[in-house]
Amino acid sequence: MQTDPLRRAIAPTLGSVSLFLLLLGGSLLYSANGEASSNSLVTQMLINAVVVLGLQIYIGNTGVLSFGHIGFGAIAGYTFAICAISPERKLRQIPNAPFGLAEIDLTPLQSGMVALTLTIIVAFVIGLALSRSGARSGAVAAVVITLALLFVVHEVARNWIDLTRGGKTGLSFSPLGNATLQGKLPIYLILAGAIALARLFKETRAGRLAQAAREDDLAARVMGIDPAVQQMIALLLSVAVVSAGSALRVFELGSINPRLFFFDYTLLTLTMLIVGGRNSVAGTLVGVVIITAGSELTRNLSGMDVSGMNWLLRDGLTDIFLGGAMLGFMILRPAGLLGNWELDHWLYQRLRRAESPPAPTPIPATASRSVLQAAKVTVHFGGYQALDNAGLEATAGEVVGLIGPNGAGKTTLLNVITGLVKSDSGRVELNGAVLTGLSPYGIARSGLARTFQNFRLFSALSVRENIGVVHLMATRFRQNRTLPPVDTLVAQAGLWEHRDRRASELDYGSARRLELARAAAAGPDFLLLDEPTSGMSDHESINMIDRVRSMAELIGAGVVVIDHDLNFITGICDRVYVLDQGRIIAVGTPAEISVNPAVQAAYLGTAG
Amino acid sequence: MIELIQQIIDGLGRGGIYALLALGIAVIFGVMHLINFAHGELITVSAYTSYWLFASGFNWWFIAPTVIVVAVLTAVIIEFVAFRWVRGAPDFTMLMTSFGVHFLVQALFVMYVSANFRQFPRPGWIFDTWRIGDLSLEVFDLAVIAATLVTLLGTYWLLQRTMFGVSLRAAAEDFDTARLMGIRSNRVIRGAFVLSGVLAGVAAIFWLMRSGQAGPTAGLNPMLKGVLAALIGGLGSLSGAVLGGITLGLVEVLLISRLPGGTAGLTDGIVFLLIALLFVFRPQGLITVRRVERV
Repeated sequence: MQTDPLRRAIAPTLGSVSLFLLLLGGSLLYSANGEASSNSLVTQMLINAVVVLGLQIYIGNTGVLSFGHIGFGAIAGYTFAICAISPERKLRQIPNAPFGLAEIDLTPLQSGMVALTLTIIVAFVIGLALSRSGARSGAVAAVVITLALLFVVHEVARNWIDLTRGGKTGLSFSPLGNATLQGKLPIYLILAGAIALARLFKETRAGRLAQAAREDDLAARVMGIDPAVQQMIALLLSVAVVSAGSALRVFELGSINPRLFFFDYTLLTLTMLIVGGRNSVAGTLVGVVIITAGSELTRNLSGMDVSGMNWLLRDGLTDIFLGGAMLGFMILRPAGLLGNWELDHWLYQRLRRAESPPAPTPIPATASRSVLQAAKVTVHFGGYQALDNAGLEATAGEVVGLIGPNGAGKTTLLNVITGLVKSDSGRVELNGAVLTGLSPYGIARSGLARTFQNFRLFSALSVRENIGVVHLMATRFRQNRTLPPVDTLVAQAGLWEHRDRRASELDYGSARRLELARAAAAGPDFLLLDEPTSGMSDHESINMIDRVRSMAELIGAGVVVIDHDLNFITGICDRVYVLDQGRIIAVGTPAEISVNPAVQAAYLGTAG
Repeated sequence: MIELIQQIIDGLGRGGIYALLALGIAVIFGVMHLINFAHGELITVSAYTSYWLFASGFNWWFIAPTVIVVAVLTAVIIEFVAFRWVRGAPDFTMLMTSFGVHFLVQALFVMYVSANFRQFPRPGWIFDTWRIGDLSLEVFDLAVIAATLVTLLGTYWLLQRTMFGVSLRAAAEDFDTARLMGIRSNRVIRGAFVLSGVLAGVAAIFWLMRSGQAGPTAGLNPMLKGVLAALIGGLGSLSGAVLGGITLGLVEVLLISRLPGGTAGLTDGIVFLLIALLFVFRPQGLITVRRVERV
């Protein structure tokens, strides 16, 4: 596929550098007065920024809500402290440390590396558990598994006195627990790295596939995307960044205790993440700055004495601010201030050359002899028989219609074919290979792509990216097909004008056409379309006939289409199957079907 | 043997409270697919109510019914202020909203009362035991079991025999269709919050009799137990929630009595770990609710 280094690498890198410089410049400006308090505030903010960027990499890209990342932070923080504190100090604090840890003497850099390694190993195990539990956007199981990590780490830190010195005192680098981090260079370096990593990850294959699954897990699977590997990559990267940030935090504070990495810090970092916009790296940093400023302001205000305002200006105001910010944003602006906006998007718009729509270059027709067969499919939902020995057959270059009254089982048959519903009996074959029993993404990779009755677009992604991520999958798993470039598909669907708009902003007809183009991008042998004209005007649905035909020709695929619109069906289909009460009652050309008495009976209810 | 019977009764006592909490969470999940992490705040508010009423010289006989009323009011207010605005929002938004409420209520108590815990007297009879042969039974456990049974029977009657109950079960079964069939989502959702308030109120009475303290984080532990129990039961399932609560209570009691000395502090951690493992091997919980995503 065509790559666009300006969009995927150069602009994001420039954007990351700009973000880093902006953040650093602002921080230095703020602490230029040389006061120790503003200095330490800025340092804390930059360290928090690293941790929150770590959260962004996982939560932002996958949409899986993790409460456990601060638990990873605790593991990293303790490992760092135990390795980095000098043996003589350790003898005083944790003389009975197991595994001879009391004698270990490592430099901060080495300790950081040990912390990183250990935490990533733990993250890998948690990642396997998350994947087993079916983690997807907003999944409850993920919340529980990650909360479990946070709690278990916390309890271990409190109870394994020999190792951690328990909850009362914690471990410290110096008698006073003074800051031990000399110079800010490590913070700057790690922050710059974290920004670039978070931003560039969004443009990688793993990042883009994870985002598609975040937007609609089911649609992603049906398009051939299995996000498990991508989610694991996101988790490991994210935990690496959180570990680095946590080690910095411990080093900067000069001490660690269990409370340092528990609920309060989870609340603080999560609020920072969602306020600016969790999907955006720029947004994440904006959130960090706003919440830091707001917390500092409320902390100062809470100590003030203004007559008439004492009901408000008191201890705890900062927590009200944090809880209120979290709640307020979720209710009023759940995507955060910036949503999906990135600084480099703006940069890219200015830097790129003018684009012109690609000419529709027809792909040399491959003499494809694909055959799709579904035979004797029977499905029960409880006592209700949705399909009874139903089936259909379609060959390449053919448009096959599937019609029938509401509840006849049309969508269920499509669901069985694409692996979303398990049939009680019957089999589905594509070019002789059995699809029955394969996962939805396996079936998509074998060569079936579908659209949905009610849209399931990747709504926060652009039109081009909706097609692009599926294309990305197809370039790997559908190598035997000649795939048209992404932009050709965009143009072919009549969406060139809208190519950089978000899918959620499209009008009804455009969204339908995007679904069609996205399915075509999967390079299927057969396109399965579930009511592609529902909700369209007569004029639009007539246009859709040409659109579907030319799209199928472009990718050399056969078509199976469900629809209610008889004009559309007779206009587009070569053959039509009629389904009634789960059974195929007729098959033939549209002309034959329209005079079939059984079909008329099913539709009009006349006894026959 | 005797020891085991005692432990089972002890576990049922604990589990009964968990079951009530879990049922309240499952009811809300059923009508709006929201996992209410703010459910514990009903206990927090109840705890402070009890504390203040004690300070004003009232006794448990007055406090108990008041606690239920207060829990219901709190549930309705939280729904009105926060949850009604995120109906139908993506799961991520709803999860974060309920955490937001949880943190905000906690912060309000820190700000306007105190971050410290306050004690109030526990009723004297909760330490009484009855001896039947070798068996010594805590009166408190028996009281909890009895109250749980009565509340669950009442809830069962409500769900099976009233129009509201039928609507609520229908909504829990299939929210979109229920709405199409003319069930008024507003009324059902508000009713679900009232019901969850009643259940939390009954649970709060016994939780507070045992703990005897009020603090901003008083609701955290009951919330976690309730959510975990509901998850064990498979969330959408109401009977699953009750079963999940009882299971959790029994597992805890058995763990505490069998863990070697010095590691008892890890009970909650181990329970958490077990539930995480449950999710790894049975993502749908103990009881499977068939939930077909419509495409």
